[in-house]
Amino acid sequence: MQKRITRLASVGIAAVAVGALLAACAPSSGDDASGTTTIEFWHRTFTPVENEWYADIVKQFNAAQDEVKVVDTEVPADAWDQKMKAAQAAGKAPDIYTHPGSIQDAVNAGQLYELNKVVDEDKLGEIIDAAKPVSEIGGKYYAYPLLLEPQSVLFWNTDMLTAAGVDAEQGPATWDDLLAACEKIQPTLQSGQYCISPAQDAITFAWSSVGQQYNFAGHTALTDDWTAPDVENAEYEAFIANYKELWDKGYMPKQPLAAYVEGKDFGEQKAAFKVSGSWMMSEIGSDYPDLLAKTGIGAFPSASGSDDRTATTLGNFKWVIDAKTKNAEAAGAFLEWALAGDPENLVPFFVDTQFTKVPVRDSVQEAVAGTQGAADAPWSSIIVDDIAPTAIPEPTYPWDVSLAVGTAVEAGMKGAASIDDALKTASAAIQTVIEKNDLPSKAPSN
Amino acid sequence: MVTELVRGGVGVADTRHANDRREQRRRRARYRYRDGKLAYWLILPAMVLLGIFVVWPAIYAFYLSFQDWSFYKDPVFVGMKNYTDVLRDPLFIESIGRGFIFVLLTVPPMLVLAFMFSSLVVSVSRRFAGLLKVSIYVPTIISTVITSIIFVLIYDYSGGLLNWFLGLFGIDPTAWIGDPAWALVAIAVPAIWLGMGLTSLIMVAAMVDIPPEYYEAASMEGANWWQKTFYITLPQMKNVLLYLVVTGFVAAIQQFELPLIMTNGGPLNSTTLPNLFIFIHFRNDINVGFSIAAAMLLFVVLGSVSALVFRFVNSERLVD
Repeated sequence: MQKRITRLASVGIAAVAVGALLAACAPSSGDDASGTTTIEFWHRTFTPVENEWYADIVKQFNAAQDEVKVVDTEVPADAWDQKMKAAQAAGKAPDIYTHPGSIQDAVNAGQLYELNKVVDEDKLGEIIDAAKPVSEIGGKYYAYPLLLEPQSVLFWNTDMLTAAGVDAEQGPATWDDLLAACEKIQPTLQSGQYCISPAQDAITFAWSSVGQQYNFAGHTALTDDWTAPDVENAEYEAFIANYKELWDKGYMPKQPLAAYVEGKDFGEQKAAFKVSGSWMMSEIGSDYPDLLAKTGIGAFPSASGSDDRTATTLGNFKWVIDAKTKNAEAAGAFLEWALAGDPENLVPFFVDTQFTKVPVRDSVQEAVAGTQGAADAPWSSIIVDDIAPTAIPEPTYPWDVSLAVGTAVEAGMKGAASIDDALKTASAAIQTVIEKNDLPSKAPSN
Repeated sequence: MVTELVRGGVGVADTRHANDRREQRRRRARYRYRDGKLAYWLILPAMVLLGIFVVWPAIYAFYLSFQDWSFYKDPVFVGMKNYTDVLRDPLFIESIGRGFIFVLLTVPPMLVLAFMFSSLVVSVSRRFAGLLKVSIYVPTIISTVITSIIFVLIYDYSGGLLNWFLGLFGIDPTAWIGDPAWALVAIAVPAIWLGMGLTSLIMVAAMVDIPPEYYEAASMEGANWWQKTFYITLPQMKNVLLYLVVTGFVAAIQQFELPLIMTNGGPLNSTTLPNLFIFIHFRNDINVGFSIAAAMLLFVVLGSVSALVFRFVNSERLVD
């Protein structure tokens, strides 16, 4: 009997220990005895300079006051979705976190806290118009953007272009120019080098090619009232046909040399042209500084007759407060201090990322433009003045619509299906999404 | 009187027998259930853990599969909508079909290779057999993540080991994991490599268990290796093979890490196996009902196929 009790006691102690361990793993936010509110802040792993800024801004905020203590967690970008889903499922989502893309779905799902309740109206009013589509819905703010950045920008290696007799000052303005340049460049390349390294898988095409779709067709994948897909047309066919030409002629590699968002292949001079977001310039600056001076940057090539329409969407990163937070006031105070407060808090972010991102407040834009480094970064004006102002916001329709188009581009490009068939499949898939989500009732025009 | 005595004697004897039997039964029962309470305590942790992490989530998942739920709003009952959405999604049906193709690409080759390997192991010297067993088991203890990364490096289009090797024979490089035609096969190879170790060891154990007298008798009758294999080895291994087919099937159709890390389901969904399909939806969708319904349907598919395998390949006791 004695033994049994001892055994039971050990089982009990073990259970308590496991429980305590699990409790210790859970994020701990809330008020402590000294009246300090602790909040959890999650952000993704970005480039090293951005990560430093995040760590630093949290440290500064914690030092500047003693009412709110921010606990900062950097989450690897590829683990973000899993980690966040797991936290949400357990009801342990962080109080405040970074958020890319459109906010429509998250707002519909009730995931985001209304910022008007905890952030000063004047501060919210400072957000520039270009950033409103990703922060405001129906007159209410649900996110405070940190930055905007064009998602499709063309980079080129001036040495490689010059060696092939291609104008390295001005990049190719149209797809015809790009294909002609590749024709010249290809014979000058060594084994393992390619003319261009663009997006090449369905998922990347899904988000990075929306601007290009708009450039070719003058609209994106849905009709304005969101009642039907709008991809089975000559413009979308021409758009995919250009990628098919890059693929068929071997101008691009048959397997990505590096992820679209990374500049590794360009940095290692494996590609004369690289398509990526404007952020890639900061990676070149930090990881391949020797290449910075011979990197050209310009708008992504247009379709012939596209009437100067943009070929890029404006990506963004925002901070949002979780709808289930118990510390909305404290989270709002941190957000307001870091993003909507003194412009000087934000200047290092834009300077260290090599002036490749667009601030969302005029006061910050001015402060950044006034820094010493801005004058030495000629690409800054190309991004901020030439490309960003006309760029369209990311689509607000569901991701599966974008994915259907991305899949069609990959299938048509690789010849897995004829371009016609690929677009027909995409159209059917989009129709399913429309019905499944009752999209006409959610269309922005309604 | 005599009759009565006899009757009475029989009655007493009957009572005594009955008492003995009862006593025996009690004793047997005491023997059988002597640690009854302790046994319940011992299985309690397993039952509690199963209950918390398997039974309750399964019941709750079944309930949620009929709801529209986003973690932030209360679930809303939507009837069969999630199920009809899943069944209407061609990608789900394709992913199930692809799962079966992946099973065919991995399980039969793995069983054949493991059989050949274990035949070798049981026919060589003890020391060499030990070496062989260790070397075949090594991949099993290497994490799938590391295996995936190694194979991505091997398959790399420019600079990968495989294309370099083929280049020596003048063969043009192939985008093994970038070409929809090759990607699933490219993923099947590491799956076989990872699964070979355990399959081989189980087969070795089964082969060692077959009484050597059978082979001696067969040799005396002049049977050759093929005849011994088909008439002795394979029939004697029937139960083990059945086990390996069922577990191999379930493991292959549920394969998830390899395509997640090597291709993320691409190119063009050519490596989106059922579990990855569910995972991608769970990760990307704001509402989780769809992915739960898909998981429930996969459960039905897996259960049905396993039941069918057991139905058609009856397991039997070994007949000595």
